[in-house]
Amino acid sequence: MTETRPEAARLADTLDVAIERLSGARPFAKQRHQRPVLDVAARLAAVPGGLDALYARGLAMEAAGLFRGSDWDDPSRLLPQLVGQTLQSPDRLTVALEVASLLRLLAIASGGGAHVNVHAEHARHFLTQVLALNLPHFFDQTSEADRQDSAGTAMRRDVFRFIADHIGFQDVLGILVTEIWRILEQRPIQVGPVKEMITQIAIALTREDGGIGRERLGADRLVSALFGPTNECIDDPGIDAYQMRLERLDDTALRREASGFARAMHDTGLVSDYHAAFLRWVSKYRDASFAPEALGLGGTGLDSYRKFKPLVDKLISAAVHPQTPQAVHGLAMLLERGVLHSAPIAPALERQLSMTLQPAVAARIELAFGNAVPAQTRVLAGTLEVMGQPLGVGQGATPPCQSARAIAMWALNDPDFLLHLICQVGEFDSLLMHFEGKAIASGDLPAGLAAGAPIDADPVSVLLVPHLDRVYAEMGRICAPRGGDPHRWINPEFHGWWVARDCVVAVDVLTGQLDDYDGFVTRFCQGYHPAYNGGRPVIHPQPAGIAVTDASARFVGWHAISILRVAQDTEGRTRIYFYNPNNDSGQDWGGGVTVSTHGNGERHGEASLVFEQFVSRLYLFHDDLIRPAGAGAPVPAELIESIRTLAVDSWAASRIPQDLALAGAQ
Amino acid sequence: MSIDPDKGYIALLGWSLNAIDAIDRFDRKYIVVAPPWAEEYCQQNEIPYMSWDFDRLNERSHELAHRLKEEGVDVAIPLFEETVEWAGAINSVLMDNPRLLGQSMLFRDKSLMKRRAQLGGIRVGVFEEAHDRGDVIRFLKRVNQTLLKLEGDPNDPIHFKAFDKSGTAGHRVIRTPEDVDNIPDEEFPALLESHLDGWEFAVEAWIKDRKIQFLNISEYVTLGYSVFVPATPELESWRARITEEVEKLIETFDIDFGFIHPEYFLTSDGKLYFGEVAYRPPGFNALELIERAYGFNGYQGIALMFDPKATTEEIDAFFPEEVTDAKGYAGCFGVYPRRRVISRLEVPEETQNHPYFEFHELASPAEQKVTKRTAFGTHWGLAYFFGENPHKLRDLLKAQEDLDFYI
Repeated sequence: MTETRPEAARLADTLDVAIERLSGARPFAKQRHQRPVLDVAARLAAVPGGLDALYARGLAMEAAGLFRGSDWDDPSRLLPQLVGQTLQSPDRLTVALEVASLLRLLAIASGGGAHVNVHAEHARHFLTQVLALNLPHFFDQTSEADRQDSAGTAMRRDVFRFIADHIGFQDVLGILVTEIWRILEQRPIQVGPVKEMITQIAIALTREDGGIGRERLGADRLVSALFGPTNECIDDPGIDAYQMRLERLDDTALRREASGFARAMHDTGLVSDYHAAFLRWVSKYRDASFAPEALGLGGTGLDSYRKFKPLVDKLISAAVHPQTPQAVHGLAMLLERGVLHSAPIAPALERQLSMTLQPAVAARIELAFGNAVPAQTRVLAGTLEVMGQPLGVGQGATPPCQSARAIAMWALNDPDFLLHLICQVGEFDSLLMHFEGKAIASGDLPAGLAAGAPIDADPVSVLLVPHLDRVYAEMGRICAPRGGDPHRWINPEFHGWWVARDCVVAVDVLTGQLDDYDGFVTRFCQGYHPAYNGGRPVIHPQPAGIAVTDASARFVGWHAISILRVAQDTEGRTRIYFYNPNNDSGQDWGGGVTVSTHGNGERHGEASLVFEQFVSRLYLFHDDLIRPAGAGAPVPAELIESIRTLAVDSWAASRIPQDLALAGAQ
Repeated sequence: MSIDPDKGYIALLGWSLNAIDAIDRFDRKYIVVAPPWAEEYCQQNEIPYMSWDFDRLNERSHELAHRLKEEGVDVAIPLFEETVEWAGAINSVLMDNPRLLGQSMLFRDKSLMKRRAQLGGIRVGVFEEAHDRGDVIRFLKRVNQTLLKLEGDPNDPIHFKAFDKSGTAGHRVIRTPEDVDNIPDEEFPALLESHLDGWEFAVEAWIKDRKIQFLNISEYVTLGYSVFVPATPELESWRARITEEVEKLIETFDIDFGFIHPEYFLTSDGKLYFGEVAYRPPGFNALELIERAYGFNGYQGIALMFDPKATTEEIDAFFPEEVTDAKGYAGCFGVYPRRRVISRLEVPEETQNHPYFEFHELASPAEQKVTKRTAFGTHWGLAYFFGENPHKLRDLLKAQEDLDFYI
């Protein structure tokens, strides 16, 4: 009798009927028969044994045409980042479609069948990425009662577990660990998401003790850097207990603690809460040598520390707390950069130590970071981090990239000016800048691109970006009637005198078509490539504009970056090293152009591309009008040609004017 | 399936994706005759297509018939009520048989149909034509006077069916003068029928060479709500009598070939009353239920019946044995929101968890306010059921009427 059979078996039979109907239907009639399949699949997924039944039918559902006419039809184009969100959709059929798609990929990954667009390896990689990205849901420790409340949450977790059981957890952990290391290599200031992922890994490691193997090492390094980098905190005893232990340690043990913290910090860019507590403690210790050791300072850093010890002690006392551990890394790097030796910096920091934040400003900071420590402390800690790792500034989830780029550029090139801006906004909640002699006060202007102030960025960005955006927008408004690309006038006025005064654009702003592209490329080579510019290095970071393309080399949008240096990598290829205000610079721009963030001579926070590849995505740069005699060697036609090919195969595909097409044909 | 050149070339009149899908999978050459809006879709999906606007200029049917003849088409199949007389007109040209046009007119006019049936000795209820609301009131009064009702007694209902509307569209149950006021003007003229208390059911009959090739009985649980196939053994026990009645229809309406879909009443005293008959595929996805129960595609069966080149062997191989070859009982329920204000679709637990429930085609509500149900047949979508026990299925379908699918 049908009625006494397990629900999964019964629903699976019904599903087979629906699949068979869908399978029989002609392509034009598939759509009507997809709904019943999804309806039954949604019910099946929720009953015990249902996922097994769906998994067994994954390829049959695909072959029957379940995904026809939807984005899921071409799995090679699916994005793992979107899966978690789709599984939370209020529409159960959409959820069922995603589950069916995941299980069909699982079938492909397990060698159960081939797909025109996707091979087993790709499917496997996709699923491990999905799991890595959804680790928090994967470990949802919901009780049986919670499950009753939220069938959707339980189902999502069951789906992830089901996939993990088949794919193997080891792969997921491996991918996640690699991903975290790749991000950490860029030394972002915002480490919240990374810390969250490491926490999830730590939970996973304690739960899944067996079967993790060699992936464990990389994961352990991350977990220990965050939770217990040294002998005395390896058992994660809690800050208070740890401080009590410190009282009883002798100098040898203290020295081991200091070097343990420093090693973990410089290895990962992450700072343990214990490290912050330790630094506060040793900065008041009778032997002054422990603090620089805990900061892991080299020659320059040590020199700065000794010369500015009173200031450094004040900074530690005011900015370094277990709630602001990353300030330790910022301070270490700031000392190492030697910027304190620049005359205005030390007094400017002294000024900030005595600064009182406007209530509105303090409220904005507390909105973003809470009130575990005073807003003043957050801003100071953030300042140390930005000064220490200028290229760690990220724009968060806000659209404007120019402001983040500007903050990074000032931190790198003009930290005194940055401190001036921080003080202005902190004390007056307004910013005064000048455009061609005309004063612009941000406090008098309407909100710019970021209508609401960002709250998912670092403290300095949260402080400055709303004002910088308004100033930038006002400069744009002034330039609007002039015609042509407004960056020509805005960039030097907004950033500083060092931005070269001529601006070269690859496209005609009115038509959007390429405009003397070969001339554009030649000009760039003669301005930036050491072989054609007389061997001159890039002196200051130069703002530039990139036509960003996606993994299929299709145009996505214009984006602001800065060119930092041009140099040969370890392979002898000329590369451009640049700063991208995006939170993660490692991006696939399609057509073989993959932005590298480490392993090709990059310093922390730098992105790089081989010269030709970089230029092929460039659409705007600044250059000096006059060159010395001897600079500007002829640029080989092959070089220009290879760059042009990369460009017209990607973002410029639909921007080819008549004459260039002819030139290309000749 | 590849196309067999020895078999007939079929024209489908009207747009039905289900029908096109079925015939595209069959072994016969076909062409879809449909309004111009279908052209682009047909081109994109490589569906053979001829543009025709059925709404206008009936006189031009000759032109369409000759275009189809030039194309080499052997027969035209009507998919909707509106294309029945077009098919008659076209087939009378293609098959050189003028009688087919006259026959199709009978199917299109419910009053002519009823009189013809009466003339053929088929038992029908009391009926009359109505041209305005006054006619309806008069009929309602007279029927109830005949039933010896006193002033103030609740009326026995009468049925109102717009002449040229198909199935349950335009079918209204009239009890009070107020019901009469609610009839829109465009539903006149109409057929009025007395109400028969009894067992209502429908028959689907595939006919070739004046013989029934397959006869299905669809049992209504509640008219306009639910139906299932095959019927319960109780109703099936009447199969021989029903077959006789359908054979009478074939004689009376002079049906050589095709597909008919008559409705009957079986009264408590064991008399079969003829309701109406249509010469086209039934609504309420009955063909899908038949396919679920028996495994053959009803549209393909219809194509076989219409195709003059179909052979006896082919037909015998196509149809299974009635009742005994059914794999189970398939039914569907037309969902209509019971509440006046709704926010979302939620299949009731008892339905969702019932082992007979298969799936549904219900859409999420676009509007929160539900308009009052007027005629039959305006359901929001169908829920499908399948199981081994016909009585259990019948009771299950009945029980759906008291459940909320939209809350």
